[in-house]
Amino acid sequence: MAVTRRALFARVLQGIGMAVAAGRLDRASAANQVEATGQAIGPLTVRVSRPFDAETPVREFTSALTPNERFFVRSHFGPPSAEAVQPETWRLTVKGLVKGELTLSLPELKKFEPLTLTAVLQCSGNGRAHHRPQVPGVQWERGAVGNAQWTGLRLRDLLQQAGIKPQAVHVQFQGADRPALPTVPLFTRSIPIHKALHPDTLLAYEMNGRPLPLLHGAPLRVITPGWMAESCMKWLTEITVRADETPGYYMQQAYRIPETSIQPGSGLPGSVMVPVEQMPVKSLIAAPAEGDVLKPGPVTVQGVAWAGESPVARVEVSCDDGKTWEPARLLGEEQPYAWRQWQYLWSARHVGPTAILCRATDAQGVQQPEKSPWNPGGFLWSGWDRLTVTVAA
Amino acid sequence: MERVGPTDGYGGGMSMPRRVSRFVFAALLSLTLSLAVFTAAQEEDRASLSPAESRKAATLIMARCAVCHTTDLISQQRLPEDRWIVTVEKMVHWGAELSKEEAAVVLRYLVARNHPGAAAELPTIEQELAMSQPASDPGAAGDGPLTGLSARGAGLYARNCQACHGEGATGGVGPKLARNMILKNEGAFWETVLHGRGPMPAWGAALSHQDIADIHAWLAAR
Ligand code: HEC
Ligand code: HEC
Repeated sequence: MAVTRRALFARVLQGIGMAVAAGRLDRASAANQVEATGQAIGPLTVRVSRPFDAETPVREFTSALTPNERFFVRSHFGPPSAEAVQPETWRLTVKGLVKGELTLSLPELKKFEPLTLTAVLQCSGNGRAHHRPQVPGVQWERGAVGNAQWTGLRLRDLLQQAGIKPQAVHVQFQGADRPALPTVPLFTRSIPIHKALHPDTLLAYEMNGRPLPLLHGAPLRVITPGWMAESCMKWLTEITVRADETPGYYMQQAYRIPETSIQPGSGLPGSVMVPVEQMPVKSLIAAPAEGDVLKPGPVTVQGVAWAGESPVARVEVSCDDGKTWEPARLLGEEQPYAWRQWQYLWSARHVGPTAILCRATDAQGVQQPEKSPWNPGGFLWSGWDRLTVTVAA
Repeated sequence: MERVGPTDGYGGGMSMPRRVSRFVFAALLSLTLSLAVFTAAQEEDRASLSPAESRKAATLIMARCAVCHTTDLISQQRLPEDRWIVTVEKMVHWGAELSKEEAAVVLRYLVARNHPGAAAELPTIEQELAMSQPASDPGAAGDGPLTGLSARGAGLYARNCQACHGEGATGGVGPKLARNMILKNEGAFWETVLHGRGPMPAWGAALSHQDIADIHAWLAAR
């Protein structure tokens, strides 16, 4: 459902317009939001116009970092009201099983030792549209993923300052976004204490060297490198240290997968469901594009690969619909949590249509499967990437 | 709603045959058949919805579902009946204002329109509504003046309009209606409410003229 830039712009305006009228944003900030993102959100493919869900066309993944304006956007309820995230009055509270509660402003948070790292952010539903039988939810195809440089403070440093009590098991995040009606459950999530205390888990205030944009969680969001994006709470306002996993819909029902694989199409009863956490190994082809017509001769096939908390060991490409596989060349240096660009030089000889496929393998030897195990929420799709091109004489 | 479709064409419902080779074929055949029946049954369902019911369902979706998210989220789904039942129930539980009968017609519409075999690209629900012109559009004028009952209008407003126009009609996603000039211009008021305007849903298929007159009376008394 690719849309033209103009139509998209109109739809974004409409979406934001609704929020404006609802008093959820004031007119000035809506204008800023469009200005800040408007210039280049043109290339995004909109899946839902309100709240705004849009994915990045995969051709953008020929660059190592995904620009802020082209980064996919996933909203449960959309950006909060301008007042809720106004830099002067916005505060972060740390409470629950801590020795001393904290309430901090953004300048105070910036006094903690900063850390910058590059990490892939991916929606758990990325690729949901590929699951068969189909499952409900935003029908993401390939582009609900991106690679950005995040700057912020370590969550660990903040928790240490507050002093964690020994009963602490989970750390809960709450953002400032609110549903249209109060009868809808809040988007509240928690992560296990070991991930919260990991030295690379960040509270980020910068994205690719610029202040975090509103659509991406300004002024502060969580980054759990190597884990799926639902842990990366946007518009963060409250951190609560708990003795248990957060209750409620978005932790106990949504974003869960069966512990062991289940029959496609079968229901939930009987299967033990566990939270989605780490990203599985996955790769995408950024060029050529689906449907391209190519001349016989050398063709550069390129793309990206990532494997959550583990490095990518190898990427293979097949230019004959999966019959034979050839290794691709990994570019640059391995960087934990970031994606790795790869290239493969294909000499296209046989005239006619052909499928190009890629698959990656991580350092533990786990290889991308042809199709991911089916699950009722349609999460964690990581099947071989595939597109069709035609070689024409 | 009671229709029990052979939706387990999808599932693990097939038991393992004992004499494999003969049964594999039979099982495959029945799987294929049940898939075909499944799709055909849904197409039939679609035909069994009268144009007026389809319009009513589409109007309800625009009016009661689009309060929290646009209809594109709904239109992009391709789901079997069991998953539509669960989804619509979840939405009602979360606050979608639908009576049992209204939920049933919305469900039939979605099961028939957005099933797993449906085309990848469908017109939007808004386009579909615009394309389905009511056979005879009664319009506001035809019925002569109606006397609105403000007391009845309060409840109708709360159920149908409040989510967007706010408590006390003070404004929300939609503009403030209390003391809005449009209340004095009855032609414009009826035109907007019956046929909709941009994100404002059309109510002609969901509310009677008496209902609208009652809402108008209640609004005029704000
Ligand atoms: C009170 C608010 C509200 C109303 C009214 C509402 N929805 Fe939803 N709907 C939601 C929320 C919240 C989600 C989940 C959004 C998310 O987490 O991405 C959702 C998601 C969905 C989805 C995606 C599948 C899923 O389960 O997440 C479908 C389909 C859907 N709604 C259909 C409908 C239909 C049909 C109606 C009208 C009968 C409706 N909705 C009315 C709040 C609402
Ligand atoms: C899904 C949200 C929604 C619902 C439900 C809704 N409206 Fe609206 N309404 C709007 C929006 C948005 C506008 C502004 C339309 C525009 O910008 O053209 C509007 C405009 C109007 C206007 C025109 C106001 C003006 O100043 O021109 C009237 C009258 C109106 N609505 C009446 C109603 C009534 C009566 C109901 C209930 C039967 C209702 N609306 C339900 C969203 C809604």
